[in-house]
Amino acid sequence: MSPAHDDSTGTSTMDADANTPSPSHEPVHMQTPALNEHMTPKPEAAEKIFELTDVSVRYSGKLAVKDVTVGIGTKQITALIGASGCGKSTLLRCLNRMNDLIPGATVDGSVKYRGQDLYASNVDPVQVRKRIGMVFQKPNPFPKSIYDNIAFGPRVLGMNKDRNLDEIVENALTRASLWDEVKDRLDESAIGMSGGQQQRLCIARTIATNPQVILMDEPCSALDPISTSRIEDLMNELKEQFTIVVVTHNMQQAARVSDMTAYFTVEVAEDDKRYGRLVEFAETETIFTNPSDQRTEDYVTGKVG
Amino acid sequence: MNAGKRNARDAALAGAAVEQSLAADHIPPASRKMLWRERIFKALLIVSLLVGMAVLAILVIDVLSDGLGTLNLSFLTSFPSAFPKNAGIESAITGSLWLMAICAFFVIPVGVAAAIYLEEFADRRRWWNRLIELNIQNLAAVPSIVYGILGLAYLVRGPLDLGRTVLAGGLTLGLLVLPVVVISSREALRAVPGSIREGAMGLGATRWQAIWYQVLPAAIPGISTGAILSLSRAIGETAPLIMVGAATFIAFNPTGLNSAFTALPLQIYNWLSSPQAEFKILAASAIIVLLMMLVAINSVAIIIRNRYEKKW
Ligand SMILES: Nc1ncnc2c1ncn2[C@@H]1O[C@H](COP(=O)(O)OP(=O)(O)OP(=O)(O)O)[C@@H](O)[C@H]1O
Ligand SMILES: [Mg+2]
Repeated sequence: MSPAHDDSTGTSTMDADANTPSPSHEPVHMQTPALNEHMTPKPEAAEKIFELTDVSVRYSGKLAVKDVTVGIGTKQITALIGASGCGKSTLLRCLNRMNDLIPGATVDGSVKYRGQDLYASNVDPVQVRKRIGMVFQKPNPFPKSIYDNIAFGPRVLGMNKDRNLDEIVENALTRASLWDEVKDRLDESAIGMSGGQQQRLCIARTIATNPQVILMDEPCSALDPISTSRIEDLMNELKEQFTIVVVTHNMQQAARVSDMTAYFTVEVAEDDKRYGRLVEFAETETIFTNPSDQRTEDYVTGKVG
Repeated sequence: MNAGKRNARDAALAGAAVEQSLAADHIPPASRKMLWRERIFKALLIVSLLVGMAVLAILVIDVLSDGLGTLNLSFLTSFPSAFPKNAGIESAITGSLWLMAICAFFVIPVGVAAAIYLEEFADRRRWWNRLIELNIQNLAAVPSIVYGILGLAYLVRGPLDLGRTVLAGGLTLGLLVLPVVVISSREALRAVPGSIREGAMGLGATRWQAIWYQVLPAAIPGISTGAILSLSRAIGETAPLIMVGAATFIAFNPTGLNSAFTALPLQIYNWLSSPQAEFKILAASAIIVLLMMLVAINSVAIIIRNRYEKKW
């Protein structure tokens, strides 16, 4: 299970999963192990796990974000920043087809995940979300025990068949640096935890399903600075194994944790319609020290927004 | 303490007008008129409450004074009889319990399933789903005698041809409370925050898994409270049972789904319409038993609600 031992690349699905009939054809419903664990972390010039081309999202016909083209690197942390309403959450939710749950939401353009079109008609969104997990802005633990919160994902994904559930739970909690705090109260309700603990539980819950990518929508916005820094540390550790895309309003956070940063802004069309646009996408250091767009500079230096 | 709050509030209300006095940090005294208005309003609320309570109290006291004397073990364990001395309500109690069980077996799965469909799957932009919703709301307001006629036409006779059996009676009561079960179950499902569904599906659960493992368990307290309260409504219903033709004189307990039956409300109705005064007293005793059953059922609902009250 060690993450960094393989030299194969995204196309490794073929040899790694012999019992999948025709990998090139089969969209995302191959077994999880086939798609993960065989990636070399290469921070710069990282291979792209997501390729978005001219992605526009509409809610009931109303444009929310327009023509976004970005590539998101494997085992990197990519931060999405920008003023409220510029479509960061919208874009994030495109990446694991969470937008499907919103009636009236439509996605145009192409969202490719390891070369596969996520919105192709034969792709099962459930299979997509198995590989691309999500942590939400507000901690949303299930109203069950701490143990059951973690165990739910592995159970529904059938992971407990080949591995001991207790082991999975301990492992996930340990990696989310929550194990020591909760190991004596695994049977207690998760609702009784503090906000920061709940958020780490939600991250642990996602880790437990062993996804490829973790999407985080302002994971620290409800947390105090100490919990926040613990989660940032956690993200840095998780980066070893997962690709992370994080939406944040906190410039320092983006600067501290991310490798790449995408800055979005709200554009107002002539007919007064507002929608989000990608202004600049570059290495985080560039965005914060030497952005090529004036709007980016104004934003990251706090002149606007 | 209360007066203090009021002062502060009045001050806030008057704030804009008396900015100067606030600047001087002078809080104006409470206005007399306002105080009186609030007092009168409060008094009206209490009076309305008392009216309801009084009616209930008179009813209960009246029934207790009439019926307590004849309420004893042999009354509970005897079958109806032509002689008031020997008459009892065992077959009525067992009949009511049978009805309730059949009703529950039918209405809970069907009602909860319908609620899950409407709340979790139905696309509200489609006209037929809105039509179904509207119809269910309306069905909840249909008088119970109409359900009795329905039961008579389609269950007792007609296509199902069940006869005047306890099964037909239970199903009729089930139809009667079905809309209420659907509505209360929907409310319980709606009270489960969307973030729970998203959380589950964000982990790769299917919609059905999210509902079955997370949403439904979280909604169970609300669903069972609603279902239990509807059963308590069913157990007190008389009119539909008269329509489906439950017998009024049954000297045996139901032996199966196809058994003839009577029920507590029917027995009460029957005794009340008898000319003999002794039977009217027995009716009062039977009412006490029915009331106690209702109180017991409703307390179960309250206990469940309090025990499992969720804070998100
Ligand atoms: N469920 C929805 N239905 C309709 N419109 C929506 C929905 N969600 C978002 N929008 C619209 O899409 C646009 C982008 O919203 P989004 O939530 O993606 O912004 P954001 O960048 O995440 O903002 P914030 O920083 O405040 O979270 C907004 O104009 C918003 O009104
Ligand atoms: Mg957002």
